[in-house]
Amino acid sequence: MAETAAPEATPGTIETTEEKPKSGLEPGYLVICWNDPVNYMDYVTHVFRKVFGWARKKAEFHMLQVHEQGKSVLKRDSMEKAEHYVHQLQRYSLHATMEPDE
Amino acid sequence: MKLIRITKGNFLFHLGKREKHLLTQVLRLYPRIPPATFRLSKSGKLPDGEANQRLLDESLAEQRAENRKTLHAFLTDQRRFTDTESGSRLSLSPSELEWLLQILNDVRVGSWIILGSPDQGIEFKLLNEKNAADFWAMEMSGHFQMRFLEAIEKREV
Repeated sequence: MAETAAPEATPGTIETTEEKPKSGLEPGYLVICWNDPVNYMDYVTHVFRKVFGWARKKAEFHMLQVHEQGKSVLKRDSMEKAEHYVHQLQRYSLHATMEPDE
Repeated sequence: MKLIRITKGNFLFHLGKREKHLLTQVLRLYPRIPPATFRLSKSGKLPDGEANQRLLDESLAEQRAENRKTLHAFLTDQRRFTDTESGSRLSLSPSELEWLLQILNDVRVGSWIILGSPDQGIEFKLLNEKNAADFWAMEMSGHFQMRFLEAIEKREV
C-alpha cells in the first residue's frame, strides 16, 4: 500500500479538519415561501429584500423559484430565528411556513 | 396617483379627487384576511406546534389591532391629504409607505380568500353581482400597491 506524506505537526497545536458530525449540529428549521396566484412578483421581491436584507438579484432568484417551482427555501436557521422570519413574512401576508430540516 | 418627488426620503404623491376617494375606501376595508388563516408549519412536525401556532395567531392579532388604530389615525388626520385644484397631495415617510403596503396586501389577499382563492385567470368567470365588490377590492388594492412599489423603485435608481 502506498504511503502518503503525513502533514507536518506544529508542537502545541492540534489541527483538525474533521467536520462536526451532523448529529452535533443544532436542529435546523427551514423557512419556506409557497406560491400563490395573488401576491405580485414585485411585491414578493420587495418583501424578501426587506425581511432578509437581500440584494435585488438574490430576492428575485427566490421569488422566481417560488413562482416557477411552487416554493423556495429562504433560510435555514434556529427555531427562534425561523419563527421570527415566518412572522415577518406573514405580516406582509405572504404564504410562509417553517419546517424541520430532516 | 403619481409620484411628484422624493425629498429627504419622504414620498410626495398626487392623487386625483376620485383616486383619493378610492384609496381611502380600500384602506377602510382593512383587515380582510380572516383570523387564523396563516399556519406556522405545513407538515405539523414542529415541537410545541400548537403552542407556537397560538403565539403566531396572537402576534398577528395584536398587529391587526395596532394597524387598525394607526389606520384610523391615518384616515382621520386632516393634514394627511393636502387639497389642490386637481386633487390631493399625500406625503409619506418610508416607514409609512412600507406599512401601507402591508395594509393594502392584507386587503388584496383577504379579498382573494373571500372570493374562494381562485387560480390566476379565472376571476372574470367567477364575477357576479354578489362578489363584484370583493373583486373590486382585490384589484384596487393591487393597483395602489403597484404605484407604491414603483415609487420605492424610483428612489433606488
